[in-house]
Amino acid sequence: MKRIPLSLAVSLFSAIIFFSCSNDDNTPTVQPVQSQTIKNLAADPVTIDPQTGQPGAGTGKYTLFSLKDGKQIANSDSASNKWDIGFRGTTLIVNGGAIRSGQGGAYIHTGTFEELTSVPESVTFATDQSSSQLAITTGSGKGWYNYANTIVSPIPGKVLILKTGDGKYAKLEILSYYKDAPATPTATSESRYFTFRYVYQPDGSKKLN
Amino acid sequence: MPTLLNAFLFAVLQAGGLSGPLQPDRPQPRTDSLKTRKLDEVVVTATRTERPMGALPMPVTVIGKQQIRQMGSLRLNDVLQEQTGLAIVTDHGQGVQIQGFAPEYTLILLDGEPLIGRTAGTLELNRLAVGNIRQIEIVKGPSSSLYGSEALAGVINIITDNAGGSGQKQANASVSARYGANRTSDLAADLGLRRGKIGVYAFANRYGSAGYDLSPETAGNTVSPFANYTFSGRVTADISSRLTLSVSGRSFSEKQENRYEATAGSVVVGPGMIADRNLNPVLTFRPNQHWKLTARFYGSYYRTETDLRYQNDGKAYDQSYFEQRFNRPEIQIDHYLNRKHVLTLGVGYNAESVVATRYTDRQRFSNRYAYAQYEWLPNRRWDIIVGGRFDNHSQYASQFSPKASARFELSPTIALRGSTGVGFKAPDFRQLYLNFDNSVVGYSVFGTHELVNSLARLQQLGQIAEVLTDPAQFSDIRAESSVAYNLGLTADLSAAYKLPVTFSVNLFRNDIRDLIETRAVALKTNGQSVFSYVNLNRVFTQGAEFDGSYRISAGSGMLRISAGYQFLLTGDKTVVGQIKRGEVYRRDPETLATQRVKPADYGGLYNRSKHMANVKLFYELPKQGLTVNLRGIYRGRYGFSDRNGNVILDAAPEYVPGYMLWNLSAGKTIKNVTVQAGIDNLFGQTNPQYIPNLAGRLWYTSLRWSVAAPAKN
Repeated sequence: MKRIPLSLAVSLFSAIIFFSCSNDDNTPTVQPVQSQTIKNLAADPVTIDPQTGQPGAGTGKYTLFSLKDGKQIANSDSASNKWDIGFRGTTLIVNGGAIRSGQGGAYIHTGTFEELTSVPESVTFATDQSSSQLAITTGSGKGWYNYANTIVSPIPGKVLILKTGDGKYAKLEILSYYKDAPATPTATSESRYFTFRYVYQPDGSKKLN
Repeated sequence: MPTLLNAFLFAVLQAGGLSGPLQPDRPQPRTDSLKTRKLDEVVVTATRTERPMGALPMPVTVIGKQQIRQMGSLRLNDVLQEQTGLAIVTDHGQGVQIQGFAPEYTLILLDGEPLIGRTAGTLELNRLAVGNIRQIEIVKGPSSSLYGSEALAGVINIITDNAGGSGQKQANASVSARYGANRTSDLAADLGLRRGKIGVYAFANRYGSAGYDLSPETAGNTVSPFANYTFSGRVTADISSRLTLSVSGRSFSEKQENRYEATAGSVVVGPGMIADRNLNPVLTFRPNQHWKLTARFYGSYYRTETDLRYQNDGKAYDQSYFEQRFNRPEIQIDHYLNRKHVLTLGVGYNAESVVATRYTDRQRFSNRYAYAQYEWLPNRRWDIIVGGRFDNHSQYASQFSPKASARFELSPTIALRGSTGVGFKAPDFRQLYLNFDNSVVGYSVFGTHELVNSLARLQQLGQIAEVLTDPAQFSDIRAESSVAYNLGLTADLSAAYKLPVTFSVNLFRNDIRDLIETRAVALKTNGQSVFSYVNLNRVFTQGAEFDGSYRISAGSGMLRISAGYQFLLTGDKTVVGQIKRGEVYRRDPETLATQRVKPADYGGLYNRSKHMANVKLFYELPKQGLTVNLRGIYRGRYGFSDRNGNVILDAAPEYVPGYMLWNLSAGKTIKNVTVQAGIDNLFGQTNPQYIPNLAGRLWYTSLRWSVAAPAKN
């Protein structure tokens, strides 16, 4: 019973910090790492043919993202350690492993974002070994999402613990797969638009709040 | 004694094609208890032999013809929805939920033989007219030990009328017409004749409606106009005093003019056709009072045809057909050894086939089976039944379904009863052989036997983006099975306390394993999935059921008040474990905040109401020929779909609110004519989004003429 008010308080608290900090960005004080929310990051969206109702083919390219900079990285930089996580449809990649250039990795943690205050010692990071053996496992109920009644919904309580391309730590929670994160997505909602929040720890420690 | 003998003889004769003359040595219930019981309460479903309902060790409900008429029911779903513990649920048709089991787990029998033609597991109850029904028997709990597959949750047996159904009379006939809201009309006629050793019964019915539209803002109808015809009949012949032949048949056909919005903005139109026929000859041989031999054959045919086209350009939306055949020879031997032992043995063979748009070839099933049941009545207080059935199927592993049940008369007032048994449901044609590419949405569904080849075909066409699960894992699909326990008591306060009160309580628990679910096997390049079927979950349903009735005289008439209630808990065992370990979370769809789900939040399986209840008042003035009744049916809130990302039912917005329906009916009989009028859903309860089969307030009025006379000779 006590956990929920606590986690609510924590998220409220972090929200307050987030908003108050955004006012005085230049003050170099020691403060908890900030939670960032990214909205509508396009992950190779496809247009739906109005005639057939079927989605067309995508570009097949991943949207690469840097957690440090909070922005998309060009695909021309795919063979660098500049990016940390990539998105294409429901498939997520990390910048580490046999088929990548960086030092990244991922672990799918079960718990709430707020309660995960540091990278647990037991965590072992998986890496992208091949296109069929990815650090973030694919498939409904196997990785970060469930697929039911034509809707992809991020599984609540799944937090990705990430090692970034340059070997730092971060936690990331996917909140929605649909444009503008509708409360009740339907089969016709525009998909492949990620809304997620994350905390990036720039100092290289495993502390995540 | 003549009344008792007549009563029993009549009841046994009435029990349909399975019966014949009275066995003098058959165990009979105690005289005092039979006197107070109505004739109609002899049931055949529970043990496959004629038994007085009150003496059975399992939960049985019997709904008689008179009650069905007074309720103004036309179709089977009308009758079933008012029974305690039964819910009418919609999934590709209206089916019945018993003890929390979905419709595919209840076997629907017509005179003891299974009706075929299920869509996605649901047998549309609307297909069955009730005008020719003598009684409906509902046995809850698994009866797979007698009936095989699908009898997991229970069995509903529809017993149709016979020639000479009114006992002494030798000819009877009736004609009825009814008209009501939504231009719903029902015309029915029946005729029974008995001449010496030959009896003939015939029934015809036309039922039609203009349909209705609960959401006028969208194009098309909620229910499109339809009309259907039912013809049925039976010929019985007493070839000798020992040998009886009965041949019954039924034909049903329906045509519906569909018009509805398939996807936003595009309306599809076109006819949908259903045809359903069956034939059932039964030969009964009684060499002496100790033996009864029954040879039955049952053949059934079911076909649907759909031709749906887009309204604007006439292009095909869904053109498909489905055709199923079922044939079954069966032999049953009943042996009555003095008054204490009854042994029943049966063997049979099912041959089934299906050919359809969504199947590669004609697919065939066969199933050999044998069953045995032994009933022991050591004294007047005990009744013990043990039995079992072995099914050897051509497509999946053999099944053995044992059962045991007992009844103990604690006192003249109270009897205890308990039963336990194993039930199973075989993978159906769809789960084995479906080969379906949805051209509109783009997904594919393959039965487990089709999966490997069909997936390879799609891969060759370059339509598969990623295979998620090794398709070979799907090939060894097993039957779903359950272990059930029912424990209860029945009480009749009339004998000991002179109180016209009866009630019964039943506690039940069902543990179901290897539930067959759809699961995504691969992702297609169009973003859709390929699905197949797999044994996945272990679920439970448990609860308690209460039924009571009280009969009082009010004025010059008789008032019967009855009430029923079912409390039901269901759940997926894996989910329950995960929640206990704190591994399940939910995300508020508005704030996107995540929180841990507590055990108390879990609402169990979707579409199950924790609380269901009914209350009924039947008032009769026999001298004036007047009947009035008011029935209230409550269905508590039930889960509809997930809204917070965790797939399970755990939050208030995921429920459909509970609702209460009130149905009112009144009738007056003058000589041979009965006039009836009524209103179903008195307060116009509707919920277009979640309960489209709830049509709103429906009035009706009907006229019935019936006559019975001794035949000229």
